[in-house]
This record gives sequence, structure tokens and C-alpha cells, in this order.
Amino acid sequence: MRSSGFKLAAAVSALVLGLAFGVWAEEGVTDTEIHIGQWGPQTGPAAAWGSVARGTDAYFKMINAEGGIHGRKLIHHMFDDAYNPAKTLAGVKELQEGTGMFAWVSGVGTAPGLAVKDYLMERKIPWVGPSAGSLHWITPPEKYLFAVYPLYYIEAKALVRYGVEKMGFKKVAIIYQNDDYGKNGVKGAKEELAEHNMKLVAEVPVNLTDSDLKPHVMKLKNSGADMVLLWTSPKHAVITVGTSKAMQFSPQFMSTSTCSDFPLMMHISKGLWEGVIAATFAELPDSPHPLMQKYKKDAFEKFAAKDERWGLFFYAGIVFAEPLVEGIKRCGKDLTRERLVKELEGLKDFQGISGKIGYKPFDPNDPSCRQGQNHSPDG
Amino acid sequence: MLNFLQMVVNGIAAGSIYALMGLAMVIIYKTSEVPNFAQGEMALVCSYLAYMFLDQYGLPVYAVFPAVLVFAFLLGCLLEFAVLRRAKEPNVLGMIIITIGLEMILMGIVSWKFGAEQKTMPFPVSPYDSLVIGKLYISSLEAMMLCVTLVIMGILFVFLRFSKLGVAMKATQQNATAARLMGIRVRRILMGTWGISSVVGCTAGLLISTTLMQPYMMWDPLLKGFAAAVLGGMTSLPGAVVGAYLLGIIENLFGGYVSIEFKSTVAFAVIVLILCIKPSGLFARHYVKKV
Repeated sequence: MRSSGFKLAAAVSALVLGLAFGVWAEEGVTDTEIHIGQWGPQTGPAAAWGSVARGTDAYFKMINAEGGIHGRKLIHHMFDDAYNPAKTLAGVKELQEGTGMFAWVSGVGTAPGLAVKDYLMERKIPWVGPSAGSLHWITPPEKYLFAVYPLYYIEAKALVRYGVEKMGFKKVAIIYQNDDYGKNGVKGAKEELAEHNMKLVAEVPVNLTDSDLKPHVMKLKNSGADMVLLWTSPKHAVITVGTSKAMQFSPQFMSTSTCSDFPLMMHISKGLWEGVIAATFAELPDSPHPLMQKYKKDAFEKFAAKDERWGLFFYAGIVFAEPLVEGIKRCGKDLTRERLVKELEGLKDFQGISGKIGYKPFDPNDPSCRQGQNHSPDG
Repeated sequence: MLNFLQMVVNGIAAGSIYALMGLAMVIIYKTSEVPNFAQGEMALVCSYLAYMFLDQYGLPVYAVFPAVLVFAFLLGCLLEFAVLRRAKEPNVLGMIIITIGLEMILMGIVSWKFGAEQKTMPFPVSPYDSLVIGKLYISSLEAMMLCVTLVIMGILFVFLRFSKLGVAMKATQQNATAARLMGIRVRRILMGTWGISSVVGCTAGLLISTTLMQPYMMWDPLLKGFAAAVLGGMTSLPGAVVGAYLLGIIENLFGGYVSIEFKSTVAFAVIVLILCIKPSGLFARHYVKKV
């Protein structure tokens, strides 16, 4: 009787302790693995940006080949959402509630990101480096959301400031994608021009499916603009510059970072991209920066698919994941979401292959506490 | 006034691609009454094949383009023979769904083989050089497209009016049973129709590819070509061409004077309007079938 009572007590103790450890263990983390989720369009109209997720994948494989982080391997779960917000939400839920992700990284697009933002934030799941420079990530700031991509809004302000102050342009126009991405550019351009007592001479929206941009370019030409901001997809940017040449309209074009993959843009524009001034969020593809050389050799050449190109979108997947990896490293063996947030908040002038990245302790009234790169037009 | 004229010229320039896609759809519709939604992706496969030979193997344009047009003919014949003809108890709805399925398969193959990154086809005529007539501009490539479209329309007109095969096609369209009784091999005619349609669509694809290529590039021209065909009449070849140029001009004038934001929706408004007012289109004769 005494023996069976002891066994019962031992079993109950084991159960309680087991449950307790279950509560303590962080979701998506084991002694040997850290599960990280990511979405990205591998098919559909935005599939050209699919290389972002593949870049992150190669980066994680490089880290794992070098021994992982404190003995743990990064297990990368990426899925194709085809740039469809409904698919993004379904995929994120499936992975989060099925496998259990410790954190999410990157994720292409403003609309897909907005579809899952509340879901992740309500569950206090860290999300680092959305692949879009939208104001939505930081207004209002969220404790678990860390932006890396420079704001499109700030990029537009910086380009306008440069064009007006340094190059002396008097008439600025913008052609923009008719969605949140493009409208962020319009907002930045308008605000910066207002500071110089100027206004946009033309705002021309373009829809993602448009293929004929002659009416758009006519509007730009008729406005008499001497500087035109391109806040579109690479395809539309090239067609705009090309159609302008055909119409003998030659302003100074300035472009968002989305179109800053110069080798690609030069190739698909058949050389017309020369002379375009573009913002960018990272080193250029041929940069001699030691980290760029390392990533190219140890991540791209070893782990990318044979027909993959070492382009901006590919290594953007590394740019957006660098702060997360640094945060996980700083956590040591004791990896929890709260600890990760604390370590990320401690990043100051962290230097990877983008501009310097830093965050601040969470302040719901300070959007810059969650904007890693380029808080202002001056950088 | 100059702006208005430039918009009309721009509309005509844009209309050429719509016309080629519209013609391709009408050719198949005339014989089988099936709008072929795989038309764009058939052209896509051929265009990427041409790109592969031009860019990766460095073969000359004058050799690659004719070879690809032959391939396009064979592809059209193959799809009709291997897929469409196998449909059990075919009806129009079922056939349309088959063409949509084919569209997805072909696009999947292109995305898998060539990736999603933008490309551009090497071609001697630049899409960004222009011809200046007075104070009006048209790009050299679009001027060429206009000529190609008119030549293809002329060839099709002569072919259908005067060649034995063309007359057999018209007979098949008007009454397949009677055509069969007169000794016409209706199935072969259908297969040939798919082949010819594929060649016309492929021409559009090749010309579009000289500007920019990506797996989704044919979707917009296909929809616009379909709208043009509905506007002109799904059974009228000249109707599809006139409809395409009208659509191009309407789109450009709408973008210039009304709203550039909703320019791309004009084509679909046109489809709805025409289907409500004159379902047979502006130029097609209205056939009433006796059942």
C-alpha cells in the first residue's frame, strides 16, 4: 500500500513538473532547434520578389553549417502566398498553430503583412524585418514588430530634398503604384515639397496590371516636370523611362529602393536606367564589403539554387534577417520571446550589410523605437 | 488638339497587341465557339522558348522567330489533339474550364523553368526609339506592330476567303455536321484552327517580349484582346481588329480626359456594355441557330 502510494505521488510529481517545464519552454524552441517562419511570393504577379525568402533560407543554412546559434539550428519554414493576403493569413495560421514558430522574419509586401500583423501581435510573436517600407509597421509601434526596411515615406523625402536642394529642380512629379506602397511615396514627396513651398506638378497612379503607360507618361510630360519620382514596380519603372524616351521627354528620374537592383534594371531597360538616381537599403551587388563577400561565398554560392542570381532581392532576405539572428545570438542559451525583444531593443548601430540598425525600449508614442534603419531623410 | 491626336495615336499603338490577341481568340471561337483562355500562355511558352534560344544560345532572330512560329503551330495542334479532343461529352462550359486549366499548367511550366524575374528579349527594333510624324510620336516597335497586325489580318482574310482550307474552316464553323457530310475532316480542321490561332497569339507574345518578359505578361493583353473581340464581334476577324483599335483609343482618351486611375477598367466596362446592348458585337452577323 505504501509502495503504491509512493508511485502515485511520483507520477503526479512527474506530471506536474512536466507540465511546468512545458509552460516554461518557449514555443518553437527546443534544445537543438529554433523554428522561424516566413512567407514570400514564389508564384503570381509579385513572384520576382520571391528571391527574398530564398535569400533568407540560404543565410540560415550558412549559419547552420557554421554550427548554428548556441548549439541550435535555425529551422526555416517558408511558404508561397502568391502575394495574396488571404493565403498569407491562412499559411501563417497553419504554421503557427500547427508547427509553432518562435518568430517570423521578413515577409514580402505591405498588404500580405497587414493581413497577419494583428494575428502575430495579439499572440506576442516577434516579427522582424517586414519586406516593405510601410508606415503601417510603426504607426502605432508594436512591441513585437521590428522594422528594418527604410520607410518609403522617408526615401521620398530624402530624394526630393536632394533633387530640390542639391540639383535645383523646380517641378517635381511622381508616378506611383496605386496602393499603400505608392501612396507612402506620394505622402513623403508632398511633405518635403511643402517644406520648400512647392507642390507636386503631377501625381500619376498606375495599377499593377497596367501594361500601356503612354497616357501616364503624357500626363508627366504635359506637367513640364524636370524631376520625376518612380514609386512603382521595376517593370513599370522601366516602361515609364522607356516610354518617356520614345516621347522625347527626359526629366531626371529618381526611384525608390524597390528599383535599386542596378544590374537587373540596366539589363531589362536595355541600358536606359543609366543616370537614374535611386534610394537603396543595402550594399550594392558588387560591393567589396567583407560581409557581402562572405554571404556571397558562404550562403549564395553554397546554398542557393543553380539558376539563382546574386541580386538585391536575394540578399535583401539576409538584410531583413540579420537583426533577428543578432538578437538570438545575444540571448544566449536562454531563448525566450521576451528576452529576444529585450536584446533587439538593445541594438545600437548594429552593422550588417544595410545601413546601421538600432531600436529603443518600447514607447507606444515613439514610432522610431521600432524603426531600425533611416529614421529621418538624413539617415 | 495635339494632345488629342497624340492620344489617338497612342491608342492605335496600344491596339495592335489587343488586335493580335483578339484575332487569335476569334479564330478558335469561329470554329468551336470556345473562348480559349489558354491563348496568352500558349504565346508565353513560345516567347520564352524564343528567349532561351536568343539569349542563352545566341542564335539569330531571323532563325529563331520563324522556328518558334512553327513550334507555336505544332503546340496549338497538339493541345487540341491531346487535350481538347479527349473531352468526354464536350460542352462549351467544360471546354472553357479545360482552357483555363491549360492556362495554369502552361504558366506553371514557364515559372518553373525560367523563374519569375523580369527579362527582356534581344531584338533589333528598340521599343524605346520613336518615329516622329509632325509633332506626333509613335515608338518604332509599335509602328512595326501596327504593320504586322495589318499584314496578318490581310493574310487571314485572303486565306479564309480564297484557300480551300480556309473555306473548309468557314464551313465547319457554320455547320459542322453538313461540313462532315461534304467530306471535310472536321477534326483536322479544328486542329489546324488551333495551330493558326497559336501562331497569331505567338506573334503578339514575341512582340511584347521585346519590351519586358515575366510569366504574367500575357494576362493583360489576353483580357484586352478578349474585350476587343467581344466589342467587334466574336465571329468577325475584321471586327476583332477594329474593336481592338477602338478599345486602345477609348482607353487612352479615358485615361487622358476622365481618370487615369480607372483606365484599365474601361475594357471590362466595354464588355459589359456590349453584352447588354449588342451581344453579337459591333461587326458580327447575328446567327440564329435552329434547334
